[in-house]
Amino acid sequence: MAEIEFERRLERLFAATSELSDAGAFAERVARRLDAGWMARRWLIGAAGLVGGVIGVSQLMVSNLFQRAEAVGDSARLISTSLNHLSNGTDWVAAASSGGGVVWVAAAAAVVMMGFVLSRVIGEI
Amino acid sequence: MLGATHSKFASLHDVELCTQAATGERRAFGELVRRHGSAVRGVLRRMGAQGAEADDVAQDAFLTAFERIAEFRGEGTFAGWVRKIAARLYLRRLQRDRRLGAIATEEIEDEPDVGGGDADAAIDLDEALKTLGPAERLCVTLCFGAGLSHSEAAEALNLPLGTVKSHVKRGLDKLRTRLAPGDGADLEGRRGNG
Repeated sequence: MAEIEFERRLERLFAATSELSDAGAFAERVARRLDAGWMARRWLIGAAGLVGGVIGVSQLMVSNLFQRAEAVGDSARLISTSLNHLSNGTDWVAAASSGGGVVWVAAAAAVVMMGFVLSRVIGEI
Repeated sequence: MLGATHSKFASLHDVELCTQAATGERRAFGELVRRHGSAVRGVLRRMGAQGAEADDVAQDAFLTAFERIAEFRGEGTFAGWVRKIAARLYLRRLQRDRRLGAIATEEIEDEPDVGGGDADAAIDLDEALKTLGPAERLCVTLCFGAGLSHSEAAEALNLPLGTVKSHVKRGLDKLRTRLAPGDGADLEGRRGNG
């Protein structure tokens, strides 16, 4: 019984620590290290997102995706021409696929999205 | 402005500060550091860390705590949680520097003359701990200061459970002799509730 009381007293003694004179300076040092780590992390995430975007674009270029997409656009135009023969009232397909611009815009949007998703994923890690 | 922010957080409970820190609010975490920094550094010093080393490990412990704040469920106290982190980090550092082996396998010497429980000599805990061998001090501080169980301490020190229990028992015997019954009340009054 006395043993348990002594152990409790010892726990209280350990817990009862007086504040050190440089407690404020210590807290500031920890805050500075936290801020530095946060800043480094943000730079790292930004750089990783940029690198991811560049890699994504280069991969798209290498895989001739744009040429393939333009081929798909040509096919779409062909289909729309056929559809126009069937119905003169619906010309939206032709409007959407006219020219390769739409394909390039879609590809650019995909690259931006890829960079954004990469940044988020790295941020979560 | 800074003062207003500080007082805003100063009125919050530890658990509320932890919740805010978990959302990335670093100022809330700063308040926790202000409140418990001394206690964490104190435990490390009592484990045998020198001033600068204790501060380094304490800083690392708080940074680790911030990264893992979402894991803190509020089951124990925040200070107790960080003390455990700090104690483990310090042991890891001792292990890395190959200092832990020397402490842990320290030969148990004959009982030193601890001078008895002279009520006139107001010996505080820190003075009393100095009369313990390094292994005894480490084990007692791990179990009573950092809040580790005997098993956790044995695992952290890579020692058999029986050896840790033996160190703790010998350490407690010495402290009991050293800390006279009257000293504790005086001490607790003097130290405040930190």
